Amino acid sequence: MTQTSALAVAPSETRSVGPQARAWLDANLPDALREDMLQDNKPTVADLCDWEARLHKAGLVGSTWPEAYGGRGLGLRAHLDISREIGRTPMPESVNSIGKELAGPIIMAVGREDQKLDYLPAILEMRDIWCQGFSEPNAGSDLAGLRTKAEKTADGWVVNGQKIWTSGASKSSRCLLLARTGSVEDRHRGLVLFALRTDTPGVDIREIQSIDGERSFCEVFFNNVVIPEEDMLGSPDEGWAAATRVLSIERATNRMHRSWRFENQLNHLVSACAANPATRKLVEVDYARQLADVSVNIDLLKGHVETLVGSLIDGNEIGPRGSLPKLFWSEAHQNFATLALEIVSRFPPDMSDPLRAVRRRMEDIYMKARAETIYAGTTEIQLGIIAKRILKLNQGK
Amino acid sequence: MSDLDFSPEDFSDTARAVMEACATAADLPARIALLAEAGLTGILAPEDDGGMGLALDYAVPVLREAGAGFLAAPLLETMLLARAFAGQDVAAEIAGGKTLATIAWVGEISGQGGVVGRAPLGAEVASVLVFRTDGTAVLVTLGDGAEAQADDSLDLERPEATITVKDVNGPTLDATQVKALLHAAQILRSALILGASEDALKRAADYAQERVQFGKPLSAYQAVQHHLARQCLAVETIRNSIARSLSAHCETPVAAARATFVGSCDLGAFVAENAIQVHGGMGFTWDVPLHRHLRFARTLAAQGKAAELKEDVMQQLLSGQDKEKEPAHG
Ligand SMILES: Cc1cc2nc3c(=O)[nH]c(=O)nc-3n(C[C@H](O)[C@H](O)[C@H](O)COP(=O)(O)OP(=O)(O)OC[C@H]3O[C@@H](n4cnc5c(N)ncnc54)[C@H](O)[C@@H]3O)c2cc1C
Repeated sequence: MTQTSALAVAPSETRSVGPQARAWLDANLPDALREDMLQDNKPTVADLCDWEARLHKAGLVGSTWPEAYGGRGLGLRAHLDISREIGRTPMPESVNSIGKELAGPIIMAVGREDQKLDYLPAILEMRDIWCQGFSEPNAGSDLAGLRTKAEKTADGWVVNGQKIWTSGASKSSRCLLLARTGSVEDRHRGLVLFALRTDTPGVDIREIQSIDGERSFCEVFFNNVVIPEEDMLGSPDEGWAAATRVLSIERATNRMHRSWRFENQLNHLVSACAANPATRKLVEVDYARQLADVSVNIDLLKGHVETLVGSLIDGNEIGPRGSLPKLFWSEAHQNFATLALEIVSRFPPDMSDPLRAVRRRMEDIYMKARAETIYAGTTEIQLGIIAKRILKLNQGK
Repeated sequence: MSDLDFSPEDFSDTARAVMEACATAADLPARIALLAEAGLTGILAPEDDGGMGLALDYAVPVLREAGAGFLAAPLLETMLLARAFAGQDVAAEIAGGKTLATIAWVGEISGQGGVVGRAPLGAEVASVLVFRTDGTAVLVTLGDGAEAQADDSLDLERPEATITVKDVNGPTLDATQVKALLHAAQILRSALILGASEDALKRAADYAQERVQFGKPLSAYQAVQHHLARQCLAVETIRNSIARSLSAHCETPVAAARATFVGSCDLGAFVAENAIQVHGGMGFTWDVPLHRHLRFARTLAAQGKAAELKEDVMQQLLSGQDKEKEPAHG
């Protein structure tokens, strides 16, 4: 590829950039990163950063960010078109989705101009990997109960406390940190957001092994960590408003590609089984109807995503409606994973490489999917949001 | 259509008022007359045939209100027939409410005739569209080579009939027109189910906030809140999927419409079943109309062959073909 950008001409909102994205991905995804192939070694963080930096150069990441911050200045429709193609491609999830989909939008919303120029291009170019320091041992679903304390001093802020379940913290260089300036009783008042450098003295990051065998999330301890004033995001009292905005983005538009990735996983399972006489009956007969139900659910999920995007383009707020796709996706995907696991459990012992690849992928998806109804607000929390904020039910208090 | 100065939603208030009037009308001819007077029977028919010539999305709020309001008329069938027969005399008659017509959704006849079924209100209309084995369809006239026989029917508002055709004659639709009609029917049936589900959810949410047990309204209990939240998710899933199927940006309109309908059948039944659960013993009574919505959703599933369509979904998956490549029609 001599031409690095997939999006050669700035496309108008009416023409899909999908085909260009498709062509670039087909030509450039290295075999070693393909999730539908048997891999001897897991890609390293450096491999992934390299790949993601190339995606950015090609214009497939940061498409909606202003050009001044390394983006392409395109609309949400273009982001959807690109996301579809990214989803259809069996490539690894971003190691910097917190940076690209949470920290970035927050910085754009509440950051100062110098912060935007400093932080944003570094995210897209993969010079900075971000993590999200919100949850604490005593503040999970009840995030407003967080205790990590930030005190203002002459040199800036001094932070003490602890975060937990911080995904990717050990690989990150920046942390979107939510801390409080007052006491726990203040609940959602007095919360402040920082762009903390994780190599700051006093930051201690310990990996936690997760059920998928990875060391994906961490505990992070803060012992008299000094954060310079210029790394505060927004005003000291703006943290909760900014955090809830982050969470509503997280639920609604984060990983817009996931319906199409989900479809790619289903297609992989079906095509691999159908191509082998030893497994064909599983998909053609034994599980045909359940697989059809999965396919229908994927279309229904696309209905949520595409309608939400249309609504955002029309200038509407997401609000509590972000809970709908999150809840629908997490449960549909978990149900698929359970079905897929049962199907691959019936593969013969002398299976071919393509079957081994699909079995490994489905087993991994099954274990990882357990987290999908927990992170970004558990199922029970989403149901509560729908009951209280969409249906506005009388709580009897 | 973008030059129109009204949107599909502008029809919902009118539609709701007409559905209320229909609920107390004497019989089917009276209901069709009310619907025709408001222009709803001809909403999709070309203006030359006395219709409004509007796109499919304008029929969605109308049918949603029909589903919510227990409309006892084959409005979906009437709308589709008046559109499909565009340019033939019968279109204006159907659009204007002069000829009462329905569709026998299940079964096909050969050149010699045959028996087809699941024609909503088939025993009370003048004409029935029947499908033929060659993919075309013919609008037969009852009493003229075709007879209707009321059938056992789960649906109470639109009881189904079986149609026996001995002498095949009447205006016809070619295979392309039939395909377009079936595609549109998937989306419009989903709109009926959307309305029925919205009404079931509303009744359940209202009841949960009125009924007190253990000193609190039912809605104060998280288990009940979560029931209602899941019903809400189901309703919004139907709504968003219909919107996607009709959007100009939808990449795969054929698969989207099919999934919308298949999904709506399951989700619509889920909402009605759970609304019954939230009502307790009251939910099991004949007078609480939740069972009517449930019967309606299940009957629409049978008329639209939701179960068979799942096989099409699987065939499409197994073909390894992208959904985009499915030929569009309608
Ligand atoms: C893989 C993974 C990655 C994560 N990554 C991050 C990250 O990067 N950054 C970050 O800040 N956090 C992260 N989290 C944390 C995540 O946001 C929390 O786990 C989640 O919000 C739930 O909090 P908790 O674990 O304290 O569980 P709890 O809040 O203690 O909940 C335990 C159970 O009780 C239920 N429950 C709680 N409250 C109620 C209620 N009011 N009504 C009914 N049921 C209730 C919950 O639904 C759940 O089933 C991650 C979690 C996982 C699993």
